[in-house]
Amino acid sequence: MLIRLWYRKELSTLFIISIAFLTLTSVVNSRYYFNTTSAQKSDEQIKNLSLQNLIKNGSPFLGNTSAPITIIDFSDFQCYLCNRYVKNTEPIINQTYVQTGKVALVFKHLPNRGFDSMGAALAAQCMNDQEKFWQFHKLLYANQKPIDSGWVSKENLKKFALQIPGLDIKQFDSCFDSEKYKNFVQKDIDLGLSFGFKETPSFIIENSDGSNPEFLAGALPFPSFKAVIEKKMSGS
Amino acid sequence: MIEEKKTPNPSSHKLQRLFIPCFKMVFSTWTYIIFAVATTVTFWIVSSIFDQLLFFYPIVIFYLPDDALVGFILVNITAIILGIVVSMNIYVFRHTKTKINIASFFSGSSLSVISSTCASCSSLGFFLISTLGAAGVTASSFVSNYQTPLRLLSIALLIWAYYSISSKITKSCIMNSSNSSK
Repeated sequence: MLIRLWYRKELSTLFIISIAFLTLTSVVNSRYYFNTTSAQKSDEQIKNLSLQNLIKNGSPFLGNTSAPITIIDFSDFQCYLCNRYVKNTEPIINQTYVQTGKVALVFKHLPNRGFDSMGAALAAQCMNDQEKFWQFHKLLYANQKPIDSGWVSKENLKKFALQIPGLDIKQFDSCFDSEKYKNFVQKDIDLGLSFGFKETPSFIIENSDGSNPEFLAGALPFPSFKAVIEKKMSGS
Repeated sequence: MIEEKKTPNPSSHKLQRLFIPCFKMVFSTWTYIIFAVATTVTFWIVSSIFDQLLFFYPIVIFYLPDDALVGFILVNITAIILGIVVSMNIYVFRHTKTKINIASFFSGSSLSVISSTCASCSSLGFFLISTLGAAGVTASSFVSNYQTPLRLLSIALLIWAYYSISSKITKSCIMNSSNSSK
């Protein structure tokens, strides 16, 4: 009887500790697995991700075309974590690496946080035709509201467009209404999914010829980006 | 001068009588303090990973942006109460003969963990979207938009779970003492 009771007590202790340990390790490992193995699996696809290729295909970019390192950002305009990255991390990356010609930033659409996300992506891509993408990008994130609350409905996107100085609104409306970039955005989504990106924002940091890619997931702070960029710049 | 006698509010006195002795009884043993700390720390780490405040790759870093401050405070409160409640549940499981009501345990502790953790788990959002399609998008946006109310709900559920487990421990003490007096 005593042995049974002892066994029951010890078993319950062991059970609780095991559950806690398993939860913790599985959460940590799932992230680490994503960050390391995807890079090995997707080596072939990465060759198409050289900076020149991305620019040629029409992806919005920021920085010097001869920058040695490229950061490809997969984001959704409705995602609040993307907004956290845009507000807290991107300005420091821009100031430290993009303005100094060391890094080029490329934007890829991964609009699946809500029903209105696709519309926002299409409008933003239309802005790129008139080289207004980054102004629109900044405007949308600055005015972000809860997902699918109507803040990026078709009507509101057109209202946002009116706030962009120097925009040919007729050209924009024609591009947006005809969903000119639907296939383009869909290709971005397929690309993101092919890398196993499960969340936005997700990033690829690579040499600008597309080699040596590193995958990052989440709204990471600047020191995390710095660690990867510095490692790449030192050639290791 | 006539001194006024301070009479304690009966309901608050009752609550004190219920909560404090139970708390002291359970946490007078190191084992339950360790259980509580382990649960709190585990939940805190998991929540911080889901909230994207704690990263292990490419470097280990914790950072707290302004927009995450309220959520972080609520997660800390949840983690502490959860540690206490789980520890007390284990105490009841190991020391009393009264059966644990599985339904109340799940609706209290587990639901609060789920609601608090899922308030910000973007991975789950993507899982919902890819498996449930349009319904998943709605569920995911609901979870994202109502993070703070969900977290407050989880704290309320945990307080209720604490009250329920405290009364369970008190009842069993009364039963034990009345049995032993016979």
